[in-house]
Amino acid sequence: MTSVRLVKAAAAAVAVAAVVAAPYVLPSYVVSLLTLGFIAALLAGSVNLLAGQAGLVSLGHAGLAAAGAYGVAWATVQGLPLAAALGVAGALTLAVSVLYALTTMRTSGIVFLMITLALGITVFGLAVKLSSVTGGQNGLTGIRRPEPIGEWWQFYFFTAAVYGVCLLAMAALNRSPFGLTLRGVRESQSRMTSLGYSVRAVKFTAMVVSGGFAGLAGVLLAWNSEFMSPSAVSFPRSALAVVMVIVGGVGTLLGPLVGAGIVVATEYWLSSYVERWPTVLGVALILVVLYAPRGIVGGLEGLAGTLAQRPRRKEES
Amino acid sequence: MIPRSWQSRRTARLLLVVVALALAASACAPGEDGGGDQAGGSVKLGFISPVTGFVAALGTDMRRGWEMYWSQNGGKAGDTTVQTVFEDDTGDPDVALTKARRLVEQEQVQLVAGPILANTAYAVAGYVAGRGLPTVQMTGADDLTQRKFDPLVLRVGYTSSQSNFPAGQWAYEQGHREAVTICPDYAFGWESCGGFVSAFVEAGGKITKQVWHPLGTQDFSTYVSQARQANPDVVFVGSAGGPDAILFYKAWTGFGLKDKIPLIGNCCFADQVFLREVGDEALGLQSFTYWVEGRDSPVVQNFVKAYEQQHKEIPSLYAAGAYMMAQVVAEALKKTGGKIEGKAFIDAARQVSLSDSLYGALTFDDTNNVVGPVYRTQVARREDGTLWSVDEQTFPEVSQFGSEGKEAFLEHPVFSRDYTGQ
Amino acid sequence: MSLDEVALQALNGLSFGALLFLLASGFTLVFGLMKIVNLAHGAFYLVGGYVGVAAFGASGNFPLAVAAGAAAAAVIGLASERLLLRRVRGQELPEVLLTVGIALVLADACLALFGGNPRSIPIPDALAGGVELGAVTYPAYRLFVLSLAVAVGVLLYAVQHRTRLGALIRAGVDDREVAESLGIDVPRVFTAMFVFGAALAGLAGVVAAGLLTLRPGADTDILLFALVVVVVGGLGSLQGAAVGSALIGLLDAFAKVWAPELSSFAVFAPMAVVLMFRPSGLFGRSRP
Repeated sequence: MTSVRLVKAAAAAVAVAAVVAAPYVLPSYVVSLLTLGFIAALLAGSVNLLAGQAGLVSLGHAGLAAAGAYGVAWATVQGLPLAAALGVAGALTLAVSVLYALTTMRTSGIVFLMITLALGITVFGLAVKLSSVTGGQNGLTGIRRPEPIGEWWQFYFFTAAVYGVCLLAMAALNRSPFGLTLRGVRESQSRMTSLGYSVRAVKFTAMVVSGGFAGLAGVLLAWNSEFMSPSAVSFPRSALAVVMVIVGGVGTLLGPLVGAGIVVATEYWLSSYVERWPTVLGVALILVVLYAPRGIVGGLEGLAGTLAQRPRRKEES
Repeated sequence: MIPRSWQSRRTARLLLVVVALALAASACAPGEDGGGDQAGGSVKLGFISPVTGFVAALGTDMRRGWEMYWSQNGGKAGDTTVQTVFEDDTGDPDVALTKARRLVEQEQVQLVAGPILANTAYAVAGYVAGRGLPTVQMTGADDLTQRKFDPLVLRVGYTSSQSNFPAGQWAYEQGHREAVTICPDYAFGWESCGGFVSAFVEAGGKITKQVWHPLGTQDFSTYVSQARQANPDVVFVGSAGGPDAILFYKAWTGFGLKDKIPLIGNCCFADQVFLREVGDEALGLQSFTYWVEGRDSPVVQNFVKAYEQQHKEIPSLYAAGAYMMAQVVAEALKKTGGKIEGKAFIDAARQVSLSDSLYGALTFDDTNNVVGPVYRTQVARREDGTLWSVDEQTFPEVSQFGSEGKEAFLEHPVFSRDYTGQ
Repeated sequence: MSLDEVALQALNGLSFGALLFLLASGFTLVFGLMKIVNLAHGAFYLVGGYVGVAAFGASGNFPLAVAAGAAAAAVIGLASERLLLRRVRGQELPEVLLTVGIALVLADACLALFGGNPRSIPIPDALAGGVELGAVTYPAYRLFVLSLAVAVGVLLYAVQHRTRLGALIRAGVDDREVAESLGIDVPRVFTAMFVFGAALAGLAGVVAAGLLTLRPGADTDILLFALVVVVVGGLGSLQGAAVGSALIGLLDAFAKVWAPELSSFAVFAPMAVVLMFRPSGLFGRSRP
């Protein structure tokens, strides 16, 4: 193995060890924040899939998470068994993803941004309106987690594992031919078309896959709070997901995780000590955009590349 | 079908490691952070309110009211020292839940008070009660002490519909036969209007039109015009207060309806936030509410004076509500000798009976909700020129179940768009 | 619905649309000329509005308050453009994200400085009261907002198409390189436009404070409306902003009456429709 690979493997091992050790050394409250961080990272990851690979920035992904979240929430409150509840969540996520995909597959850039924005708000509006199903503004209470992951530390491990698996899946996706196709679409849609690809089909598929990850994040969110209300899937949540991706580094694999960590830490932890935390977040975003346009992870990767001081194979991460 | 990259041994091994570790780890439970027993003679309480975000004004007032009670009583309830840890929920249920977790698991508080918005309150109450700790609320969400009752949850306050039962009744007694209601289109609005409507209809009146507007409506002109077109004898407006109330009233007066159609406001319509912004146009406005800052009672006036001295403004119903929560907690602590043990504490709190308080003479019913007076108020000018509400009539011992009684009331569903009280 | 009622609701819709136009015109001009999607536009509105409220509270003078609000927003706009946005000129996504960061900071600053209570301006006596229009008494202030929007619109159109400044701007948009080679200081013109757009937003904020209220969150609420207007009307088109605002205002008003269930969607539906079938908007130019 090259030394870079060795360092990376070692780092991964340390990270996994830290994740596993957390509930034994950290207070339960901090661990619950970590859980929230993983869930946010998953949602940010789904945004990153489209933004990083296909160059499509979505401001409405909270709507996709809402599908999964409300699906499992409603089914659980109705008393449906776990498999059925997950089925409902999956079906609803698929339906909403297809809706997103159909309306956006012909668009890109700013128009894509606007349509996803509108879709996200529409889903939020529906969550508020259909109050007999969703509980409206008051939300749905009593969404019990499945038995084996009921305790806070069990749920933490579960979430971390789910995130780990999804991370690997996204990495695999990026390395796959489909990932290559997505990046081709990002570079030049006309060229891809002339090469015989159906750009629309590619974008459609990408949105559905991305939606799947987002829906999964939604299910985890509903289980985490054991409560679900529209504010969890409002426009600011979609916007924050994008902020996470940008701050972490769009197109990088670990960017969403780093970005999620920073945003969650600011919103939930820093806010206990600093009243002006939204300013902190805004300033961080401005600084990242101005001085670290590739985000924190992107910047670190660049740094690592410079430090490695050997001809680096162009890695597709 | 499996992507070639998945077949790489490294990825597969990594995957196995992740899953295996997760499974292994989940088998061993780490040490629990138990709820702490405070040193004898002191308790630690948690207080959550939205100090930032779109309802920042309410949350700030709440904190002030709560703090005022304790500072007036030397930070003690009898012999027990009381310490409060404050958190900001920003008006978001997930943040509220996380802060509640922090309070319970990290700060190890023995009781949680607040937050205010219904969805945040439900999220927090669900969690705190699930941990076996008592929680004290002031949110109006009807079902919290009705169909979603929990023995560990006490509401020091009135349900959203409660203070409007006398309003409906009174409106009919004034000779009004046709009414139009204007309420925000979500649970609080449905419940507020539901209270008025059920009482008005029961007395024999008719609701000609119900106008529902989305929360956070910017422009009320359409809604006000609709109300006007229906040409009713009286209009009832149920507002959550703040911007919605101000905007509605601007439209109402702008269309010249102030002197044309009688208007009745709910608990939270003509609050201090509203009066400060609307000014003299509000003089004479009638409401039915439980917090009357102009009530001629020494308890109320002392509170108003002290609050005004410290914060340079007349206390709002959110400040008063939080003060009441503190008072009831203090009284309960005196009864239990400084101990907070889950249900026993709530039972003690429920026994609290006050002959006069900021709300008046109050007791609690067996589903942990206040039974107390509702006042018909009018906006008037104080000696120094500031506007406030004074009581004109008192309706004593109003229950959350109105005139129906608990069984009959609980038989019908909670007030909503489908069940509006008619 | 009787004709009177229709007219009444139409006026309601148009007067709200007028406010939207005041806001959307600045937004669309900045986009049309500089290709910047300024998501801090709502924050400029909020800052201008709060400053206007404070100025009115201190002086009791409405025109002064309007000027103060517009000026404050203009200053903020200047600072944003020269210190921040200029560094990422031409890069779409970074520009948008920068404006998001600016919006976050500005909104929080407003909360810190002006508190969480809703603020508004009591309608000045000269504009208070109602105007008899047939059987209806219509608030005079709403008519004022309507006339102001029309005046601003006419002024903007005249400047854009009848003056040398307008020609300069249009040249800068059409072909920047040629314009620069002709000696036009394009960056300066752009800065001026951005500042002007911000000033318009601030103006809208003060005027809105008489009609609506300013509070935390009001910036995102109104920004969403403005976004819908410019998407429907066409990013960069002044006529589009005018038609879009009128359309959205009317839709909002009538949907509240005829389909109150859908009132929140009524505004977003046309946006979605336009984006699907005519992504450049009703009057927008299709970009290459």
